[in-house]
Amino acid sequence: MAFDYTIKYKSENNYENPVHEAYWQFLVTPENNDSQELLSSNFNTSVDARIENSINGYDFETARIHCKKPFEKINFEAEFRLLKKEMNPFEFTPTLDNHLDYDLIESLLFKVEFESFLKETDLTKLTEKNKDIYLFNKDLSIFENLDALNKWVYIQLYFKTGVTDVGTLLDEIIENRHGVCQDFSHLFCAIARRNKIPTRYVSGYLHQGEGFFGDSQMHAWVEAFIPNIGWIGFDPTNNFLVNHNHIKISHGKDYNDCAPLKGVIYSSGKNETKYSVEVSYQQ
Amino acid sequence: MKYNKSNPIFSSYQNNTNLFDEIFDKNENVRPTYKKILELYSDHSIQDFANLNEKAKASFFNQGITFQVYSDKKAQEKIFPFDLFPRIIEAKEWETIEKGVIQRSKALNLFLWDVYHKKNIIKEGIVPMDLISTSGNYLRQMIDFNPPGGIYNHISGTDLIKHSDGKYYVLEDNIRCPSGVSYVICNRNALKRALFGVFNHYEIQTVTDYSENLLEMLESVKPKGVDSPTCVLITPGVYNSAYYEHCYLAKTSGIELVEGRDLFVEKDFVYMKTINGPKRVDVIYRRIDDLFIDPMEFRKDSVLGVPGLFAAYKKGNVTLANAPGTGVADDKAIYTYMPQIIKYYLNEEPILNNVHTYHCSNPDDLKYILENIANLVIKPVDEAGGYGISIGNRLTKEEIEKVKMVIKENPRKYIAQPIMSLSVHATYIDETNSFEQRHVDLRTYTLLGQDKEFVLKGGLTRVALQKGNLIVNSSQGGGSKDTWVLKK
Repeated sequence: MAFDYTIKYKSENNYENPVHEAYWQFLVTPENNDSQELLSSNFNTSVDARIENSINGYDFETARIHCKKPFEKINFEAEFRLLKKEMNPFEFTPTLDNHLDYDLIESLLFKVEFESFLKETDLTKLTEKNKDIYLFNKDLSIFENLDALNKWVYIQLYFKTGVTDVGTLLDEIIENRHGVCQDFSHLFCAIARRNKIPTRYVSGYLHQGEGFFGDSQMHAWVEAFIPNIGWIGFDPTNNFLVNHNHIKISHGKDYNDCAPLKGVIYSSGKNETKYSVEVSYQQ
Repeated sequence: MKYNKSNPIFSSYQNNTNLFDEIFDKNENVRPTYKKILELYSDHSIQDFANLNEKAKASFFNQGITFQVYSDKKAQEKIFPFDLFPRIIEAKEWETIEKGVIQRSKALNLFLWDVYHKKNIIKEGIVPMDLISTSGNYLRQMIDFNPPGGIYNHISGTDLIKHSDGKYYVLEDNIRCPSGVSYVICNRNALKRALFGVFNHYEIQTVTDYSENLLEMLESVKPKGVDSPTCVLITPGVYNSAYYEHCYLAKTSGIELVEGRDLFVEKDFVYMKTINGPKRVDVIYRRIDDLFIDPMEFRKDSVLGVPGLFAAYKKGNVTLANAPGTGVADDKAIYTYMPQIIKYYLNEEPILNNVHTYHCSNPDDLKYILENIANLVIKPVDEAGGYGISIGNRLTKEEIEKVKMVIKENPRKYIAQPIMSLSVHATYIDETNSFEQRHVDLRTYTLLGQDKEFVLKGGLTRVALQKGNLIVNSSQGGGSKDTWVLKK
């Protein structure tokens, strides 16, 4: 069974003073992968400029605008149609001997192969006092540990908007125990990597209407690599495994690799950014 | 021929025979290559040299051959002091240097390909993974990307010294944006103007062919499907310390000198704004650091770069020289693995020696370093220009304790090497109005393109102008000499 999704991303930027020239890069286009197929994408903008398709540094698709005429406000809209397969997150064969998996993640070959996603970044850094905040139980399988971590992060933090921003570090998040999906995901990444599991930060959309946290906004979750199984998605903001409600855009080491909007603006003064997301499907 | 106290220009020359003097051997005999020039120079009085020295200085200023020194207070425009006594390198000696620096450049290129693809050298445990994963210069955006022609380090500058054993040692490989090549050519021109007569007595290799080889190299790595590429040189602008060089190289290679704002990207192609409208750009010799080339991908506060440039590069529509991410192999900690790197990729013995290096990140080495700090040079792994270097035997007790603290706090950031005794060369000194021994090194320039290798036959001999000083970088108050490579 497949789900026929329609995703609408809208953003509005207002500038105090006229902007003379500007570049924007939107990283909002769903990727094509085994579970999702992008059928169409449509972009619109209020400014007089062409919208170009390009890529970011990690080869994920972007939409770019280069505006050379003065303006004070820009609207941008993207609409995507996408087919998503129904997924059973538990559809894999667990390893029989856990020790083999734990041996494997200790091997040099494994560490080299997954170096990018084992690395601590500024946003996924556990400082000395928090470095052992959550250690894996080697009697459990890697999957069981990650699943328990998913739940632990969910319980540990309270979902609250407006208290953190994209640059908030984990020390503060752990201390105050609240944040949004980025913060939940960064904490998961940091702890999983600390326990030697390659983990990547994922940016995407969550199907709304069922009361999950993160709908009507961009969402973030994580993918962890489990030996002999592959990349498995965990959504610590909602304490479940990634399923057909999750539509992936891109992944990276942390938020900075996946920022949905980057801009270079030749102007002065303040600006204001608003955006909204609508996700709907027909079965 | 012994040097002679009655020789007017060398009457006060103090020859410290513990050091390797490029002109005089241990028995104070003049080395064969220098006999003629010493004879010729002896026809002049020291006052002639004083006058010529003044003229040369004025000429450098008038031509604007200057660089900027960064300090806490303000930027200062300075000339790179030029010395009238050339350094002479025999054909046979040069042959070894040339083969050696090509070998290193090729090995580094293969190393870069490997660390951005299969990483075999790390998987086999030859180079530790930490050197890659903790390097701020390892750009993960470059993983699995194939740069045009398979070349990363198109332009390398290799720093060599001659130790008291008379052998050349490599101090470091500069493969980010090595500078100084324009001074090589300016020094040659300046010496020709000042003392053209001496050139009649030596058969010297030319250095003025650098720019044509630079252009040929850049054209050789053009993107696929381009017949006659448009190349440009991108500079951070007039406030950069090497701005003179950027202008010089662009002018003499016949390519445009541009700043970020002169270029723009459309549909993943790069264009230059001209009075005749946009012109497509195919190859960019960039003298801007990695993190500043594209605010969309790297530092978003960069006003030096071009938004969208990195995407155009990854789509294969433009070539960047040097490739982004080469800095990972420019790291002084990687330097210490050069003998193994050369062996691994080329199955050859290194032609040029490496200075033995201790890693502060290795506990045994760290112990040795802390105990023997007075006999070592401590260097940060990721700083260029001679900044942050501590020379053990010049430090006071308190300074030593301070350096120890700094190392212990961040061991990955530092390496230590035995204090190498750089060779010395007679150098005209303003203050004493005489020739004195000063320490020198040699920076060579290598170009690597598709089916193209070129080493400039000559190089920048840098002089530490302060007596006894071992740091020769221009930013640390060094000067330079014309460097002659003799024909066979």
